[in-house]
Amino acid sequence: MSGGLSGGASGAAAAGEVVLSARDVHRDYQLAGETVHAVRGISLEVRAGDWVALVGPSGCGKSTLLNLLGAIDRPTSGTIAVRGRDIAALRDRDATAFRLRHVGFVFQRFYLMPQLSALENIELPMAEAGVARAERRARARELLAYVGLDARERHRPAELSGGEQQRAAIARALANRPAFLLADEPTGELDAATGAGIIALFARLNAAGTTIVVVTHDGDLARAARRVIHLRDGHVVNEVHA
Amino acid sequence: MPRSPIRSLSFRARSVALPALSHALLAVLPARAQVAPPAAPPPARHATIALDARLATDAGIRLGDLVVVAAAPGIPGDTLRVAAFVRRGADPSEVARAEYRVRMHLADLQRVLGYGDRVDRFAIATRDSAATTRAIAGINAAAFGFRAHRSRDIAIETSRTFAVISRFHKAIGVITIGASAIFLLCIMLMKVEERRRDVAALRLVGLSAASVVRAVVIEAALVSVIGSGAGVVLGAVASRLVNAWYQQLYRTPLTFSLVTPGIVGFAVALSVVLGLAAGVLAARRLVRTPPLALLGR
Repeated sequence: MSGGLSGGASGAAAAGEVVLSARDVHRDYQLAGETVHAVRGISLEVRAGDWVALVGPSGCGKSTLLNLLGAIDRPTSGTIAVRGRDIAALRDRDATAFRLRHVGFVFQRFYLMPQLSALENIELPMAEAGVARAERRARARELLAYVGLDARERHRPAELSGGEQQRAAIARALANRPAFLLADEPTGELDAATGAGIIALFARLNAAGTTIVVVTHDGDLARAARRVIHLRDGHVVNEVHA
Repeated sequence: MPRSPIRSLSFRARSVALPALSHALLAVLPARAQVAPPAAPPPARHATIALDARLATDAGIRLGDLVVVAAAPGIPGDTLRVAAFVRRGADPSEVARAEYRVRMHLADLQRVLGYGDRVDRFAIATRDSAATTRAIAGINAAAFGFRAHRSRDIAIETSRTFAVISRFHKAIGVITIGASAIFLLCIMLMKVEERRRDVAALRLVGLSAASVVRAVVIEAALVSVIGSGAGVVLGAVASRLVNAWYQQLYRTPLTFSLVTPGIVGFAVALSVVLGLAAGVLAARRLVRTPPLALLGR
């Protein structure tokens, strides 16, 4: 793997600046005629350069909280702000545009476009954001080199291992220099050794200033984070700082 | 077994078409070929006859052979030399008919049939439409028992059945293309449905609904155009095979299957329109579903 990234991995923010905040956030679902309280009044702040792990048993609300923080879902009540901008009330179109430029997503199952090469997958969000072709190609190559896939840029996802696909997905998430990276079980589909490589990549990104919020059941990944927030039944029950 | 130098042909005439010129070649229907010993030694010079190429093939007759032609089996006939072979025209009304055709000089035909100067039908070539009108009027006024018609009117009258068959085929074609298009629509919807997770990921990454719709519709258009192109090539090849098979089966130059620019244009246009419609429908359905729902959450 190569060293650093020009212009940083993610959007510029002063160290310690609050990039993400949630205030008394609730999220209720209607399921089979019953109301499910997935998130019950959670408040938290994530500062620039933080690496936060949300952990807890299945159904505790950690993925729901991640979706709310990433403007994928809207809270039933409460506010969520990114660098002071309330994102809780964004319309669908605005939320999509917001995610494109300010949020980097990493999924458990990678979700790379199977028809596109690794390079093209990374270019995709930049193309949507209107980045010029030459610029986005250079940025995509830089990101691929950063995650150690510079020799695999023409390979399609099916030709990459699980770990390589996740590296490509992380590179894609960083393409538009987001304010923070949200990852939902990023090592969930990987074996221990490959997962360790992904954890090391996150550590390197965080060391370079990238703000990361990760949902995980993986103890190793949680231990690597600077802050570990334990959730249970939609509440924050405990927070541990490394 | 030595090849017989003279063959015997007998005719049972149903109709005789007499052209205006006495030496024009005539068509006689139907004809049956029979191989028989020669009735008499051939004269030094013989009148000539043109035989149906199928008859020549079936009876093993070659150019220059002598044949005995009679009006009916078992009666004396004229010995004629085979001067040419005649191939059937592309007439759908004759495709399934097994009769052979021969062409003889008018004088020979009259002698063989014993018809004398009697004719059932005759055709006249005219210089232009006005001359045709005058000839029709003159014949209808002067020749009692005859009724003159324009060849175009006769052609229209006799081809009415084929016009109906042609429309029937067109209807089958439209139904086939329509059914294929609905099939394409369903396949497109299913293919897009298979990619719910990919679309969800694109939406989560930040691709707009318009971008997703555009990508799906472009893909649908490409699939439609490529599919149409493949279909046209397949149709053209199948058409050639069908024609080759039936032309040799019926020994006719008739074209049984046609891939016309109109048909190609219609099929491609319908395919592209329906492909695009399928793409738009499928894409709109996907982008209206929240990404998390697409991921099954």
